[in-house]
Amino acid sequence: MNTGDRNEDNTSWPKAYTVALSIFTVEIVLLYLFTLRFS
Amino acid sequence: MNRLDYLVLFATILAIPLYGLWRTRGRASLRQYLRGDSSIHWATIGLSVLATQAGPITFLSMPGQAYESGIGFIQNYFGQPLALIAVCAVFVPIYQRLKVYTAYQYLGQRFDRKTQLLGAFLFLVQRGLAAGITIYAPAIVLSALLGWRLNLTIWLAGGLVIIYTVLGGTKVVSITQRYQMIVILVGMAIAFAVAIYRLSPDLSFQNTLSVAGKMGKLEAVNFSVDPHKRYTFWSGLIGGFFLALSYFGADQSQVQRYLAGGSLRESRLGLLFNAAVKVPMQFFILLLGAIVFMFYQFEKPPIYFNQPAFERAMQTGHAPQLAALQTQFDDVFRQKQDAIRTVSSASPDQRDVAMARLHDFEAQARDVRERTKAVLVQAGVDPKSKESDYVFITFILQQMPHGIVGLLIAVILCATMSATAAALNALGTTTAVDFYRPLIRPHASDHHYVVAAQALTAAWGFVAIAVASFASLVENLIEAGNILGSIFYGSILGLFLAAFFIRRVSGSAVFFAALFAQALVFILFATTNIGYLWYNFIGCAAVLILAPILQQTLFRSAEMSADV
Repeated sequence: MNTGDRNEDNTSWPKAYTVALSIFTVEIVLLYLFTLRFS
Repeated sequence: MNRLDYLVLFATILAIPLYGLWRTRGRASLRQYLRGDSSIHWATIGLSVLATQAGPITFLSMPGQAYESGIGFIQNYFGQPLALIAVCAVFVPIYQRLKVYTAYQYLGQRFDRKTQLLGAFLFLVQRGLAAGITIYAPAIVLSALLGWRLNLTIWLAGGLVIIYTVLGGTKVVSITQRYQMIVILVGMAIAFAVAIYRLSPDLSFQNTLSVAGKMGKLEAVNFSVDPHKRYTFWSGLIGGFFLALSYFGADQSQVQRYLAGGSLRESRLGLLFNAAVKVPMQFFILLLGAIVFMFYQFEKPPIYFNQPAFERAMQTGHAPQLAALQTQFDDVFRQKQDAIRTVSSASPDQRDVAMARLHDFEAQARDVRERTKAVLVQAGVDPKSKESDYVFITFILQQMPHGIVGLLIAVILCATMSATAAALNALGTTTAVDFYRPLIRPHASDHHYVVAAQALTAAWGFVAIAVASFASLVENLIEAGNILGSIFYGSILGLFLAAFFIRRVSGSAVFFAALFAQALVFILFATTNIGYLWYNFIGCAAVLILAPILQQTLFRSAEMSADV
């Protein structure tokens, strides 16, 4: 692991995981709304 | 299929491997052959990971699954984004830091040689069989419907993959998967658009979805806690999480994909790309199946989608029975069409009565199809794969314009080739790195190991073709791969999680805990009908609970491995 990678770990990666988690949450909510609307 | 279709098909499946081989020409070092090089971008890694998982079963069976049972299968993927984030945070940094070729080398460094070999062995058994199914699944369907010889179809896909994977190694797999996945995504988008275009003009798209929903095809999320229900939000989130964590964290066919870039950043971005796109992609593939279902509510479907089997039964003295069933089916279909029109035009207070009639006709149609299948079994022509596997391919062959048919058959073969290439690449690498190098030739040259990895990759290719040639599936193709994975992955994941999170545990304790967990899963599989996704959780939990107990009892004096 180089220094650049280590720095990225400490700063940007938690944010990237939060973004990925938020996208997933939105996807689940949309699927649930789709289920409510059409079944 | 006409000449244009064959031209599109062969141009697509041949051009991509040829381009990949051209890009990777020249002699490679062992590191380049097994891990690619640092020029591989995160987008290539992302598409490569996506293509490795997708496979032909996704595109062949999944629309059929939605046609039969609705889109609830989407829930199996709910644990995946969470698992991918966990893999990015925990697994990838360790693999990149230790510069391993295989995930199981880490087990050897953290515990001991026998734990490394156990992890590698469980992977080889599971992936070797799964690679055979990956080749067999599309071959059995394509050969039945297109009249191709089964063995020729198996050798066409399998042989081509062996050649380019052996020659180009990890880098050629990544490059070809990128373009194969682009062909797949474009092909499926075209299929989706054509399917919507071909829907009946009698109903708006929104009304079509409403009717499909009322017929039970569009329940994407179900919060039931019944453990015997196969697809629920909870089984998908928890069982799916453990399945995906094992698959992405401990299955060499995936580990090799995201280590191909060389840098931690590229690996992580490629995996996070998958976390974002996987659920929507599967949703649209399943929705395509529901749309095909609605198409066949207005356009009469075949009474049995595996028509060659049906025609064979007609020629074996069962024609009178099948003709009578066909007449009943036609009659029910006409009444069902009327019922659907009534549902779509009924006032809200009359809709429940109209829906009840529609459900009644749907049940009658299902009953006629079941009786048809019983006649086929009686006639001895019952195919080994499930009828729903023939739904989407029948729709493609009968309803798509020429050229697009060739492209969509190419999609299925591209998916076969990309998933098989990743599997062979990983099987060859694991056998060379975890078994051949430490146990047979510990001090040979770099080039010797490249040649050994090539020979072992080719050998696994022939094993996969042999499995495909003698395989007869007992269930739906889509289920077979996932069930196989779920049986083995739990204990493999347990090994890795014990390595990461349980500090004071020795290799022997973990080794015997994994053996016990694997035996427990086999027994549960043979004697109960628990939803298969739970086996991942059970196998993994058994290792994590048992390893510390064994450590404190039988292996109390065993030396601890250094923490990594």
